[in-house]
Amino acid sequence: MIEVRGLRLRYGGVAALDGVDLALRAGEFVALLGASGSGKTTLLRSLAGLEFPEAGQVLVEGRDMAAVPARERRVGFVFQNYALFRHMTVFENIAFGLRIKPRRVRPGRAEIARRVEELLALVRLSGMGGRYPDQLSGGQRQRVALARALAIEPRVLLLDEPFGALDAKVRKELRHWLRGLHDRLGLTSLFVTHDQDEALELADRVAVMRDGRVVQFDTPEALLAAPADAGVAGFLGDAVPVDCVVREGRAWFEGLPPVAVEGVAEGKAVAFLRPADLLAESGDGGARVVAARQDGRGVRLTVEVGAMLLEATPAPGWVPRRGEACRITVLAARVFPA
Amino acid sequence: MSVRLARRSLPGLALGLAAPARAQGGGPLLNVSYDPTREFYRAYNGAFAQWWREKSGQAVRVNTSHGGSGRQARAVIDGLAADVVTLALAYDIDAIAERGLIAPDWQRRLPENSAPYTSTILFLVRKGNPKGIREWGDLVKPGVGVITPNPKTSGGARWNYLAAWAWARRNAGGDAGAAEYLGRLLRNVPVLDAGARGSTTSFAQRAQGDVLLAWENEAHLAFAEFGEGQFEIVVPSLSILAEPPVAVVDRNVDRRGTRAVAEAYLEHLYSPEAQALAAKHHYRPRDRAALAAARATFPDLPLVTVDAEFGGWAEAQRAHFADGGSFDRLYQPGR
Amino acid sequence: MRRPTEEAPWLRWVLCLAAVGVAVLFLVLPLVAVFAEAFRRGWGPVAKSLSDPDALAAVRLTLLVAAIAVPVNLVGGVAAAWAIAKFDFPGRRLLMVLIELPFSVSPVISGLVYVLVFGAQGWLGPWLEERGVQVVFALPGIVLATIFVTFPFVARTLIPLMQDQGRTEEEAAATLGAGGWRMFLHVTLPNIRWALLSGVLLCNARAMGEFGAVSVVSGHVRGETNTMPLHVEILYNEYQFVAAFAVAGLLALLALVTLAAKAMLERAG
Repeated sequence: MIEVRGLRLRYGGVAALDGVDLALRAGEFVALLGASGSGKTTLLRSLAGLEFPEAGQVLVEGRDMAAVPARERRVGFVFQNYALFRHMTVFENIAFGLRIKPRRVRPGRAEIARRVEELLALVRLSGMGGRYPDQLSGGQRQRVALARALAIEPRVLLLDEPFGALDAKVRKELRHWLRGLHDRLGLTSLFVTHDQDEALELADRVAVMRDGRVVQFDTPEALLAAPADAGVAGFLGDAVPVDCVVREGRAWFEGLPPVAVEGVAEGKAVAFLRPADLLAESGDGGARVVAARQDGRGVRLTVEVGAMLLEATPAPGWVPRRGEACRITVLAARVFPA
Repeated sequence: MSVRLARRSLPGLALGLAAPARAQGGGPLLNVSYDPTREFYRAYNGAFAQWWREKSGQAVRVNTSHGGSGRQARAVIDGLAADVVTLALAYDIDAIAERGLIAPDWQRRLPENSAPYTSTILFLVRKGNPKGIREWGDLVKPGVGVITPNPKTSGGARWNYLAAWAWARRNAGGDAGAAEYLGRLLRNVPVLDAGARGSTTSFAQRAQGDVLLAWENEAHLAFAEFGEGQFEIVVPSLSILAEPPVAVVDRNVDRRGTRAVAEAYLEHLYSPEAQALAAKHHYRPRDRAALAAARATFPDLPLVTVDAEFGGWAEAQRAHFADGGSFDRLYQPGR
Repeated sequence: MRRPTEEAPWLRWVLCLAAVGVAVLFLVLPLVAVFAEAFRRGWGPVAKSLSDPDALAAVRLTLLVAAIAVPVNLVGGVAAAWAIAKFDFPGRRLLMVLIELPFSVSPVISGLVYVLVFGAQGWLGPWLEERGVQVVFALPGIVLATIFVTFPFVARTLIPLMQDQGRTEEEAAATLGAGGWRMFLHVTLPNIRWALLSGVLLCNARAMGEFGAVSVVSGHVRGETNTMPLHVEILYNEYQFVAAFAVAGLLALLALVTLAAKAMLERAG
């Protein structure tokens, strides 16, 4: 459906896109994940026709978009700051894409009104058509921006950190609602985020970007289980890097029991350990409970092992107390040469 | 003054001003004049229009533009479409002739060196003459503020300067003494206006300075406008014969087809009617009858001429007013 | 009880009085003086001086020049501001400097430049003369000089605002299918309309009141090439002080009327 080949773009002396390759299938919900400056927004804008790469190709449904200006690409774009037309009502914002169509293909007024009302209902803002953007909350504005982008029946929906400016609860709600909408309408969506929870939770596949390139493009499970390199491993899933030495098929730590690893060269290495990889049990094992906090998901346990502070998962049934001695077992690790 | 503004619509005004030159005669005459002649030409234009209509049956409208003589000459050279120029001194008209706009023998085409009236330079002082200014020598006394326009732009100012020089040459020790005298005189000048009228306004309306070196007509005009109680006219022992000349701008009148009217306009300045009008506006008429009739207003005083005293305007310009001439050397503002 | 960031009451009073004092001294008093001097001898002389043919011609010329210069600068200023604020292109910085140029150059020099270029002795002089076209010392020269000195007003008012507003609304419009013209009409223009109005009014006020540049290119032909400010100078130099103040008062009145129009439009908008 969408294919990107070898895209390059420089800003001043810096390469914002340094040879990006990506291919999306129709109907997919893909997340572009990365730290600030990794090039994910630039890539998104290039797909929309708002940035102009120096080299490489963008193909939509097989057609090269190089000569196609933004207004002809039929992509829906939802901006990070919504970019609603501040002097127009919600209704007029959503109707904009329809009203400016050339006369030949423009729907009639009644038809436009019908479609706008339909979209308002879709984004659960019926009755708000007469309001102005500055009278809406952040979440409401974002939904209007979405409705506006959907009004032109785009082939692809591009979203640039759509929930970035919203508070946590609203984010969660909208996140799932968006995915639901995507499924219902059969869209192809690509959204940019720096929040890995969001990416891993919602997307069919996630493209991890770093320094202007796609480092790994895989399902969330695959990314967590088999990160392509140390960077990806360290980025996802609350992993903490711990030095180790690989010998005889096992990674040996200081203060922790060893764990089996495959396919890693012998010698110094770095292991990425997630809370789920470390099982903590009560008993004398050279570790000590430093903090045990209850949050919405359960107990967050921090233990001290030697000089390290690590997060671990408590064994079922055990209620850890601060200062208590405990024993850590390493269930799994992702290890990369140092 | 017959005026046809009622007929002019805005587009007409716009077109009329930007239109290509018309091939046949017609359209208003433009008289580009020097600064103090405003009142005189306003009256004369009306009289001329009436006379022309009676004579030829045609209606004519005359527009005027006023400003410092040098500046006006410069404007005509740069393209101001004057049909006639009536400037303060022959040198300014020569400058236009040099560019090919006026025939080189222009001064001989009309009587009296093409100067239908003359004037001279007098002093205007405040009522009671508190600083006791009676003579050129008094102008360099300390604490006396002398108002004169800028010789670079104003014709009147150049007459002032040369009159002062002529007096100083006789009374302050030849040319060397004259230079020293002028230097001290210029140090007493607080401000140089661009034209004669500007200086009159500075002196009379804004009350600057103690003495105004003025065209004769300007002095009388200030009298009339501000009430005689405010000023006095002082006649120095010597002054200069100013012959402000007039000329047809050949290139423009031929292109616009207005030569006949333009020449008539200038010739009519010598008529008894116009000469009386000139006298009324305190210009010394050439016509003997008019001069005799107005004897009372024109004091007798010895007058030198530019030709005799300075060897002609070209020489005077070169020595005094051109870049590097005596004015540039002697005028140091702020000192 | 004073809040930490508030100044003392006495200081507030002093500053307010000082501001009012300055405003009255430099703004109100001169305006009042103009009208007072004009009406010193009653309505009669005022009516007479305003109905004088040369005065009427000056009023018409002033209005005509403003009617040409302001729309030209409106279009030019909006175009320049739009290009600078919304796009990157080679020469963008240079354009910004050029826009500031009329402000840093003395108006007299501006006028002189036109004489040097279009005058009979200037670069284009002979070419124009051959075709019998008169630029300086005629309406076109006055209009050009006025356009030059008033050009920055619209652009300078708009550029910071448009830069501040950013490009995202325009980009959104682009993704929705809007071409350049529609983008401008439906998105950019409504966002800048009050600043635009303000810039236009400033431009208009300066166009009507410009003296220096126009004085150089005018030729001062009575009844033909004198704008109202030039006419005021002429009247003053002919000792017709009441008439001079009457015309000056009319000029001030025109300015006040445009300000009132702006206030009304803002209220209605």
